[in-house]
Amino acid sequence: MAGVSEAATGHAEAHAHHPPYLQHHFVSAEQQFDAAKLGMWIFLATEILLFSGMFVAYAVYRVWHPEVFQAASKLLDWRLGGLNTLVLLASSYTVALAVHYAQLGDKKRLVQNLWLTVALAGVFMVVKYFEYSEKFHHNIFPGGNYAYEGLQLPYVGQFFSIYFVMTGIHGLHVLVGMGVLTWIALRAQRGDFSSEYYTPVEISALYWHLVDIIWIFLFPLLYLIH
Amino acid sequence: MAHATHHIIPRPLLLKVFLTLVALTIITALTGQADLGVFNFLHVPLAIGIAVIKASLVVLFFMGLKYDRPVNALAFIIGLLMVGVFLAFTLLDMLYRGDIGNLSPEPIRGPQIEQVEAPAGH
Repeated sequence: MAGVSEAATGHAEAHAHHPPYLQHHFVSAEQQFDAAKLGMWIFLATEILLFSGMFVAYAVYRVWHPEVFQAASKLLDWRLGGLNTLVLLASSYTVALAVHYAQLGDKKRLVQNLWLTVALAGVFMVVKYFEYSEKFHHNIFPGGNYAYEGLQLPYVGQFFSIYFVMTGIHGLHVLVGMGVLTWIALRAQRGDFSSEYYTPVEISALYWHLVDIIWIFLFPLLYLIH
Repeated sequence: MAHATHHIIPRPLLLKVFLTLVALTIITALTGQADLGVFNFLHVPLAIGIAVIKASLVVLFFMGLKYDRPVNALAFIIGLLMVGVFLAFTLLDMLYRGDIGNLSPEPIRGPQIEQVEAPAGH
């Protein structure tokens, strides 16, 4: 029994010597930060591999049917795609600023930039919604459901299978990012973060930049190369 | 303390990176629409090259990998290498299928194949 109470006292003493955000299985806040960040980079590598399956499918079908890809990509509006590229780049900039202000301990600007990022992500999804509805309106559907009168070519449905799957899974990542960044913004408002501890801000920002990077490749490959 | 060892990327640098990214987006959009005449074959390498530069800027500065611990860069680079292996070996298989032995050079046929006449020589 004495051992137990001793351990309990030891535990309480240990709490007194470390900040509330430091978990017991880490030696220091620095080690906890590094571990979290390495974990995120490994996760991002798996995300790249997830998308690489679709990029390889794109490469294979493009090599097989280059003329179909060239004709079909003209059905996409490069202005809307370009606008969305600028919107996502701006959101990457604002989330980078959020991390910058988190490091300086500027809570007000941190929260502002996080909400700005969420708003820009929302703009991206709205533009995407209009693009998708316009496509559906013209019976441009993936695969065998493609029935647009204006462009009838064999295999053109394959281009739109790739288009809808790639932009769809990317759009899903944008929605997840909006959820994560909303959560982080609420936590920042609550005062969870400081210049000493801002790991969740940094890690969510890394995820958001990856979503931006995927779109940096999707935009030219789907909208421009023809 | 923790923050003392973390590199804080200055705001002017972040702004410069953002403006460069915007400029590159405009360049890639314009060259994508332009008729390059005899250099039309450059469309694909140009678009992919600009995308690689843009992605590198985001990774190095926005994600701060330039100032980060090398182990994080290692995780990222191994991921990219695996993508390279995936793409290279798939394309090798596709482009040289049938050259070795008596394997069929026919691609996997989709449902639309009935609508087209089989190309000559197949």
